[in-house]
Amino acid sequence: MRAHRRWAVSFLALSLLLALAAPPLAAQTVDEIIKRGKVIVGVNTTTPIFGLAGPDGQPEGYDPDVARLAAKYLGVQVEFVPVTGANRLPFLLTNRVDMVIALFGITPERAQQIWFSIPYATEAAVLVAPASRAVKTVDDLGGLRVGVPRGAMQDLILTPQAAAKKINLMRFDDEATALQALVSGQIDVVGTGLLVNRTLNRNDPGKNYEVKIVLRPLHFGIGIRRGQTELLQWLNTFIYTIKNNGELDAISRKWRQLPLEPLPVF
Amino acid sequence: MDYVFQFGVVWRDLPALLLGAWLTVRLSALAMALGLLVGVASALAAASRWRAVRALARVYVEAIRNTPFLVQVLFVYLGLPSIGVRLRPDQAALLAMVINLGAYATEILRAGMKAVPRGQLEAGTALGLSRWQLFRHVVWMPALRAIFPALGSQFILIMLASSVVSVISAEELTAVADTLVARHFRSFEVYLVVTAMYLIMCLAFQAAFGAIHRALFARWRMV
Repeated sequence: MRAHRRWAVSFLALSLLLALAAPPLAAQTVDEIIKRGKVIVGVNTTTPIFGLAGPDGQPEGYDPDVARLAAKYLGVQVEFVPVTGANRLPFLLTNRVDMVIALFGITPERAQQIWFSIPYATEAAVLVAPASRAVKTVDDLGGLRVGVPRGAMQDLILTPQAAAKKINLMRFDDEATALQALVSGQIDVVGTGLLVNRTLNRNDPGKNYEVKIVLRPLHFGIGIRRGQTELLQWLNTFIYTIKNNGELDAISRKWRQLPLEPLPVF
Repeated sequence: MDYVFQFGVVWRDLPALLLGAWLTVRLSALAMALGLLVGVASALAAASRWRAVRALARVYVEAIRNTPFLVQVLFVYLGLPSIGVRLRPDQAALLAMVINLGAYATEILRAGMKAVPRGQLEAGTALGLSRWQLFRHVVWMPALRAIFPALGSQFILIMLASSVVSVISAEELTAVADTLVARHFRSFEVYLVVTAMYLIMCLAFQAAFGAIHRALFARWRMV
């Protein structure tokens, strides 16, 4: 009898714990976001230019600025949740964030799980190495240690060819760690974005990091859960607006030191 | 719930997961063996008659036990190259695990050695045992027997902690799982299977510890 009661108490305690531990339910519609008074946005704070933790700990960069602009147009506060390339999709699917603005490259595989807004930024998946490293094509990567952020576009492009070309592909949990591994000499080549070599050269002068290979041009969309038609419609309208009123161009000039290139729509 | 479970992708990638689990087992088993050696050396140092040696052991134990394992891993892999020590990710992971486990094992072993009653030592001396015999039969074996369960849990903990070395691109079980999730986004299915794999590995290690315990102490009567 007593054993039974103990089991029942444990079971109750466990259920209570699970109920308390359930993730906060993210908003599903534009109205819910407005009613709540804040939008919860997943941003990557390990990616120079597009998102880094600022001196005050708040995210800063291209993506956080787009998020702040979206909050401004919604008339709500913005709450940032740090995500990485590998966990941004689970964070979205488990309702921890309303949307992900974290250099999310648009691909058909990803679109099976989530929906993308029209592109709000352009980039390229590239390979960066010190100037002294003689690399011109992917075929020259044989025997080299190539670090990529796990699950990022560079990972997806190189993984199918790594074994055949004898590339020592090393996957890091985030881009910052991969870049640090390059600076520490733990890898020879890093898979990153088009403008990151600027940041590298500023922080680790003398090596003259340069873009060696452009793997593929990329466009980033804002990621939301599937089926959120209303939110998607609002986001596309928002991106259309800031593309044409100069606000997105200002963000591009501020963080990329480049004017906004024409962005495709779909 | 509009999530459709698809375990097919997990079974397709099972060989990759098993390869990751194999590295986890290898890293953990090596870390346990080497960490125990470090722990014994450091526990002896902590009981040394020289003050400087005792202090050194103290500093090691406190520095490791009061800092996060993740930071230790990052320090070994990304920090040490600054002074010319460049390790592969799996080597760096092993080194960090050995250093970490060594510190915890020190404290556990020290407790075991302290628990040996003074009278027992005196009895050993009275029997004319040599220093080595005294250590082996009167201090080490009873101490090991007393702390065996605690040491076993610490060993299991380091195996579970090894999951964070994915951060430095060591391709152990969690790293493989993260890669698969990043590829096809089946996080629930992959992590469920990986959780089961960790559980199986824990149970296997515990069974091994049980066998070692029986082999070592089979002839000991309960006191």
